[in-house]
Amino acid sequence: MAAIGIRGLSKSFDGFQALSEFSLEVNQGEFLTLLGPSGCGKTTLLKIISGFLEPSTGTITIGGEDVTHVPPERRDTALCFQSYALFPHLTVLQNLEFGLKQKRVSRDQREVRISEVAAKLELETQLEKLPNQLSGGQQQRVSLGRALVMRPSVILFDEPLSNLDAKLRDQVRVEISRIQRDYSLTAIYVTHDQSEALAMSDRIVVLNGGKIVQVDTPEDLYSKPRTPFVADFIGGANLISGRVSSQTEKGPIIIETSMGPIKTSHLVKDNVDNVELSWRPERAKIGEGPHCGTIVHRAFQGQFTDLILEQNDIIFRIRTNNDKLRVGEVINFSLSPDDVVVLEVDK
Amino acid sequence: MTLRDWVPIFALLVPGLGLILVLIGSVVYVAVAQSFGYYALLGQSAFSLEFWSDVFDRKLFSRAVRYSIYVGFWSAVLSVALAYPLAIWLRKPFPGSIGLGALLKAPLLVHGLVAAFLYINVISYNGLLNQFMQGIGIWSEPRRLQNDPNAFGVLLLQVWKNMPFALLLLTGAVQSISDDILDASRDLGAGPWARFCKIIAPLSISGMQAAMVIIFIGALADFTFQTTVGPTNRQSMAQLMVSFKSRGDWHSAAVVGVSLMTIALLGSALLAFTSRVIMRGGLR
Amino acid sequence: MTYERLNSLLITMVVTVAFIWLAIPFTMAVLWSLVDPAEPWTADKLLPPVMSFYRWVDMWENSSLRYALISSYTLAPSAALLGLCLALPTAFALGRFDFPGREFAKLLCLLPLVVPPFITAIFFSALLFQLGLNTWRFGAIVFAHSILFLPYAIRILTVSFETVRQDHIDAARDLGASAWARFRVAYLPALKPGISATLLIVFIQSIEEFAIAFIIGSPDIVTIPTLLYSALGQDFVRPNAAVLSLILVVPNVFLMLILERLMRSANPTLSSGKG
Repeated sequence: MAAIGIRGLSKSFDGFQALSEFSLEVNQGEFLTLLGPSGCGKTTLLKIISGFLEPSTGTITIGGEDVTHVPPERRDTALCFQSYALFPHLTVLQNLEFGLKQKRVSRDQREVRISEVAAKLELETQLEKLPNQLSGGQQQRVSLGRALVMRPSVILFDEPLSNLDAKLRDQVRVEISRIQRDYSLTAIYVTHDQSEALAMSDRIVVLNGGKIVQVDTPEDLYSKPRTPFVADFIGGANLISGRVSSQTEKGPIIIETSMGPIKTSHLVKDNVDNVELSWRPERAKIGEGPHCGTIVHRAFQGQFTDLILEQNDIIFRIRTNNDKLRVGEVINFSLSPDDVVVLEVDK
Repeated sequence: MTLRDWVPIFALLVPGLGLILVLIGSVVYVAVAQSFGYYALLGQSAFSLEFWSDVFDRKLFSRAVRYSIYVGFWSAVLSVALAYPLAIWLRKPFPGSIGLGALLKAPLLVHGLVAAFLYINVISYNGLLNQFMQGIGIWSEPRRLQNDPNAFGVLLLQVWKNMPFALLLLTGAVQSISDDILDASRDLGAGPWARFCKIIAPLSISGMQAAMVIIFIGALADFTFQTTVGPTNRQSMAQLMVSFKSRGDWHSAAVVGVSLMTIALLGSALLAFTSRVIMRGGLR
Repeated sequence: MTYERLNSLLITMVVTVAFIWLAIPFTMAVLWSLVDPAEPWTADKLLPPVMSFYRWVDMWENSSLRYALISSYTLAPSAALLGLCLALPTAFALGRFDFPGREFAKLLCLLPLVVPPFITAIFFSALLFQLGLNTWRFGAIVFAHSILFLPYAIRILTVSFETVRQDHIDAARDLGASAWARFRVAYLPALKPGISATLLIVFIQSIEEFAIAFIIGSPDIVTIPTLLYSALGQDFVRPNAAVLSLILVVPNVFLMLILERLMRSANPTLSSGKG
């Protein structure tokens, strides 16, 4: 049975449609990420699930029970805030205890749960400190711990890593994944960072303009984006439009583009002439091949080099391990038909 | 920092902070010295405890002390108690909340004496209140409400004038609590009362203490409300001090003045401490 | 929704209370100031039977109102100017220099607000007696007012000095500006609203101040508050008190509203939200 069921959810603020006709099921023990640019409705959705906002229409169930009109204080969810939202006047211990006391958990139980979580998060030596005496990473762990001790049926993360520096971010990311797996928690994670989403999730929901664009596993989302928005938002694919020139029963379809004919092994719907194609910069094989371009910009990134190429006034990106190429050179490359994805055109 | 760095800063501080310290310092010094018999305007100046024992023996004085503390305490407590819920209510803006806040804070713009006049006007023998009560048939004849013996008039005016001030301080304190913190407490299961006791109150305590202390000192040392609408059979400490002074009894006035300052100091400390303890008590 | 219904109920309640709290008393005051002595306003009539500006004219011509207005409105600007001059150096030190004990110095600047005004008034007058300056009433009041309200002046100007941006000063120096040009380009724009706010707040406070004016000024100097005080006491004539109340309160409300604007532009965090 689904841990969370969202059916036909809509929310508007003063005429602005933040979410429209949104439906989604989250499975028990699943790590689901809501990914999208700012203003796409992901935070609104999180606030509706946690109970701080009431939807205009639609229902939410948690563990099969309708909670659409249940206030947040009586919902079995725990939220990890972007700002951590630790109570500044309470010690780490009191912060961890807060929710348990509200739920009238017995003293023995409280001690057991807190010591377990504190051990897991390596907070044992920090328990008597106030939040402002902790580093950013430690505060993040307290915020996580405060949610974990509640043993909620769903744990919600609102961009929890955005206030950490890059190095710490990777570390906490691994930690969150590990804990989620250890406790087999159902987690909903909101972020605008595609690499975070790809690294952590079981499934990713890509949102744009209050609507679901695509729901898929990270691997499929990356290799088979369905729309230009997804292709561009995740991994920055090269997009090019073209006309179907031949579609045979067997073998790749040939699409005529301004880069010349491109082969794809993915199917095009019947009766469609004009299509949008996407291919990943790192999938181009430099050397022999039907395609070519002039290098107009080069950015050495360490383990790879980003090249911006131009041909017939179109600009595209190639990622390569070859650091010998220089601006001005003309290179040839090929694309495997498997790597060229046919997209649905956004409405 | 070297002496060379200090000289210009010191020179800059002299006209402002320096004069403040000189004026307030000498005022307090003169008050203390006069209470012990120095700086006599007539007769000779010599150290004496006579004025202290004289004034302390008078019933007038102990009544004034008790009365002033009564007015100061209740003004502070009532103003803050009224302002707290309003501040929490106005924390998050809603349509009309700015206008509402302005309306509630309007008495800040009105001088205390004008407020006293307005009050007298409403409660006077043939004033609006008496007419209204007779009109709806609760009172059969007009009542004398001016200078009531329990000083409700004074308290009403103090609250009228000070509640907006408390509201100002508390709104600032309550608004500085972030939404995330309140949301987090809700998410962890805290209802409205728990949110107030455990989050809002402890986090706005310094604003509340400031409001309490400032209102307490102001109302404790009240002169104008007391002499215009206060009970006629009792005197406030400031009133007593002024009446001693106008009789030329500077030493007794000084004793009252020094006592007033001491009570203001001790009372503020006690109020601030007690409110902290009560708020902390809410934590357990 | 029930929450919204509750909210609108609360709004109605507060507005009603505020109406009783403010509108009714002020309407009464205005009406009383218009009562014509030809016929008294008795309890059985809703409005004064005869209304005229007789009281206003009479007060203007036959009482010390004119004198009180003159003294109030000369005291206040003098105190405001003196206060500004005294506050500027201290605010400069507190706002532009980082020295040990700066926070403590800021705290000490608040002292005049903590000592009850009647204590300051009485023992300042005792001090004047000791120094033989007790006939120098006008100067004494100006001096006392400007120092009593220095806390406001110093606070506002300190914040103004803090908002002067060091990179503006540095940029001016880098471009070869003289000390005067630097002051004009970097300091003055940041200080202007603070200076106006300071002048205005000391002005308002001085107009409203009662204790010092009452203790030190009497019997020679009458200000509007002391005049109103005596009108509320021994010679209580209601229409006259109404006239005085309105003269005291109405200009100040407008000044306060201007002040509020100024403070908001000077520093958003200082603004009180009133008005």
